[in-house]
This record gives sequence, C-alpha cells and structure tokens, in this order.
Amino acid sequence: MSGLLDGKVAIVTGAGQGVGEGIARALAGAGAAVVIAARRAENGEPAAAAIRERGQAASFVRCDVSVEADVRAAVDHAVNEHGGLDIVVHNAVSPPGPPAHVQDVDPDVIRAQIETSTTATYLFARAAHVHLVARGGSMILLTSPAGMEGSGNLPVYATVKGAQRGILKSLAREWGPDGIRVNAIAPVAWTPAMTTATEANPTLQARLEARTPLGKIGDPETDIGPVAVFLASDMARHMTGQTMAVDGGRYLGL
Amino acid sequence: MARRALIVGAGAADRIAAGLSADFEVSRQPGATELDLVVWADYPAIACRPTPIIDLTPNDWDAACDAPLRSAIDLARAVHEPLAAAEGTIAFLVPLMASAGGAGYAALAGLGEGVRLLAKSLAKTWGTDGITAHAVTLDPHAFLAAGDAAGIAADNSLHDPPLGRIPDDRDDVAPIIEWLASDTARPLTGTSLVVDGGLWMPG
Repeated sequence: MSGLLDGKVAIVTGAGQGVGEGIARALAGAGAAVVIAARRAENGEPAAAAIRERGQAASFVRCDVSVEADVRAAVDHAVNEHGGLDIVVHNAVSPPGPPAHVQDVDPDVIRAQIETSTTATYLFARAAHVHLVARGGSMILLTSPAGMEGSGNLPVYATVKGAQRGILKSLAREWGPDGIRVNAIAPVAWTPAMTTATEANPTLQARLEARTPLGKIGDPETDIGPVAVFLASDMARHMTGQTMAVDGGRYLGL
Repeated sequence: MARRALIVGAGAADRIAAGLSADFEVSRQPGATELDLVVWADYPAIACRPTPIIDLTPNDWDAACDAPLRSAIDLARAVHEPLAAAEGTIAFLVPLMASAGGAGYAALAGLGEGVRLLAKSLAKTWGTDGITAHAVTLDPHAFLAAGDAAGIAADNSLHDPPLGRIPDDRDDVAPIIEWLASDTARPLTGTSLVVDGGLWMPG
C-alpha cells in the first residue's frame, strides 16, 4: 500500500498504543504524515519516534479529545507542522471500566465514555471541517461490533459506539456535497485491554479465536491498519457512511 | 389493578401517553416502585431542528446529544428495580435518521442510535430479571416539524408508504408499544421494531 497516501496528512487520536498506534503506523507506511494525538506523552512521543525511525513523517501532540482547545490545537498542529489536514481518525476512547450491568456502572465512566466518543467526534468534526473541505479529505471513526449488536457487559460502551455510527451516517449525508467522506471501522484486535484480559484469563484467547472464522484476533497495524489506509485513500472515493467490521468474521450477524 | 407506565419526553411521548389504553396508569416522572412499561422519547427541540454540525456550539451539542444521552442512561439505571419488580418492558423511540442518517441531524441521529444500542444492551442483561427492552423506530414525522420531515423523506426518495400512510403515534404506535409490554410479546426482547407503514424498510 506504499504510496497510496503520499502527500496526505493524518491525525490519529489515541495513537499512543493499541489500534490507534497500529493505524498510525499503517497510514505512515502508505505515505501519510501522521500526527499522533494522545493524552499521554509517555506513549505518544515513542509512537511518533518509532515511525520516524522508519524514515516516515510523524509528530506527537498532547490531546485530550474531550477538550475543545486540545482538539483545535491538534488540528492547528497538523496544518502548521505538516501543511494541511486530509484525514482524521478518531480512535480514542476512555477505559470502559470492568464488565457491569448499566445500573452498576461508575457514573464517572459514563461521563468519560460520552465525552471521548460523541463529544470528541463533534469537536473534531467542527475543528477539521474547513481543512477537510479544502483538500477533499475524509474522517474515519473507530466504532465497535458492540455498537451494532449491543453489549451486556459494557452497555455504556455499546451505547456510545452506536451513537458514533448515527453521527457518522448523518455527517456522510451532510458532508458528501463538500467532498468529504465519513466512514467507520469496527475492529476486533489486540489492544492493551485485550492483552490484559487474556493474561488474566488464560483460556480467553483460545475461546475468542475458536469463535472467529479467520481464527485469530486482529493485529492493529497489519490487519486493521490497511483498512484505514483503504478508507482514507482514493480507492474508497465512492464510499461514505459505511461501517466496515474488521473482525476476522467474528460478528457475521451484524 | 391498573398497569403502571412511565412515559419520558414530549412530542411523540405525549402522543404515546395519550394513546395507551385505560389499562395503564401513566406517570411522567420516575418514582414508582413498580413499573410495567417505560417509554423514553426525550429528544430536545434543539436536536430536532436541522443544523450543520459546524454551526453547533459545544453547549448546543451537549444539549442536543450528550446530555440527553446521559439522561437516557440515568433513566435506565433508575428504572431497573421498578421494572424488575413488575417484570416490565422498556421501549426507546428512535427516529429513522439514527439508522439512515440525515444532513443537519448528526446530534439527533447520534442520540437515537445511542439509545437504540442501549436498548439492545439492556435486553442482553435484564432478561434474567424478567425485563424486556426494545427500540421502536419511527418515521421522522414523529420527531420533526412537518416540513423538515418531508425534506428527509425527499432526500431518501421516499414518498408513498406501502400501507398508504405514516402511522399515527397515538392511534397506531401506542397500541404496538402496549403489545410489546403484553404477555403475548414476552418471547421478544432486544428488537428494533420499525413502525412506519413500510416506508423505509431499513437493514
């Protein structure tokens, strides 16, 4: 996919680790200059440095995606440091907390999940629109299979991930005439949370893989990243408002 | 003994409340210790007016999407025990733009699709408590001014409901919600029931 995104500039939120970092590395590998927007410098700086060590362009900006000034600063950073903005990948989400029925979820988790999902999607849409219009750009939201089938264990996470799909479909209609595409990816992939869960429960990985037709949990860079590259590239120029499940076939009923 | 219903919201919620049969005693605020039916349709006016997302201030966005989403989750938390006590049903009314999108309605669609997924998530865990949970998806006419709803239909080239008309919230939709709360519908939970005269047929 080398060269597909030459000359493009991307912001990836939550790119200090996990799926966001994998997508950032894939976008950079396809030629994009990538802004690693992450809350913590101890993750974000090394993620950007690792991309630069490959001879590709990347920089880090500290960004709490629920704070308007931080979001605007991240967009300004992309434009000032890299010359524009073509791609916004909103991947960051606050930790969903332990599995719990809705009546038992910590109120702080509910607030943070909404702020990092729906609020942040709005803030990035509003801040990035003028730049995406100028360059015929696109926005990619990271949702989840839970945002389509619901989740008993993570009901608030499913709610906010569903909400993002409603927003994306409306934005696809609203921004289509501006030449901006908006799509989503619903991955099942290795994340720090997945690693923690499988380490705590040694049989979990085998059970998940047995229920997945392609037999494995996705790798953020090599399994999920290429789909983001495709959606951000001109190859997907006639696609908008879509959610691509990148889950090894795990959720075929969606 | 009358069955107890809690109806939250205005507009479509008012019409559903008016359309329930005399079997139901309707309240508009939480507080009952037993509830047979809860209907949520608390869509704020600001979400129901078409506005480009870039023209919404952060306060507008919070009022149109995030705050009512928090309220819907808070309501679900508050009614769990009363619903479990009566083995009742909760139904969230959802505008079809949640599934199909609508230019100018990002906040409304986000809120609507959020509560639709909340309904599915509640269904997955509250079934063992005897509670059923549903989304009831309605044509935009249930939520928007007539001219705005007509614009949404025109955007989607939808003009002629196969059954000849868009269902009336009070006369047509309320009895269906009442049926969802009936013993006959006990095998159903987690559904997204589209009640629109066959106009959209999504998914």
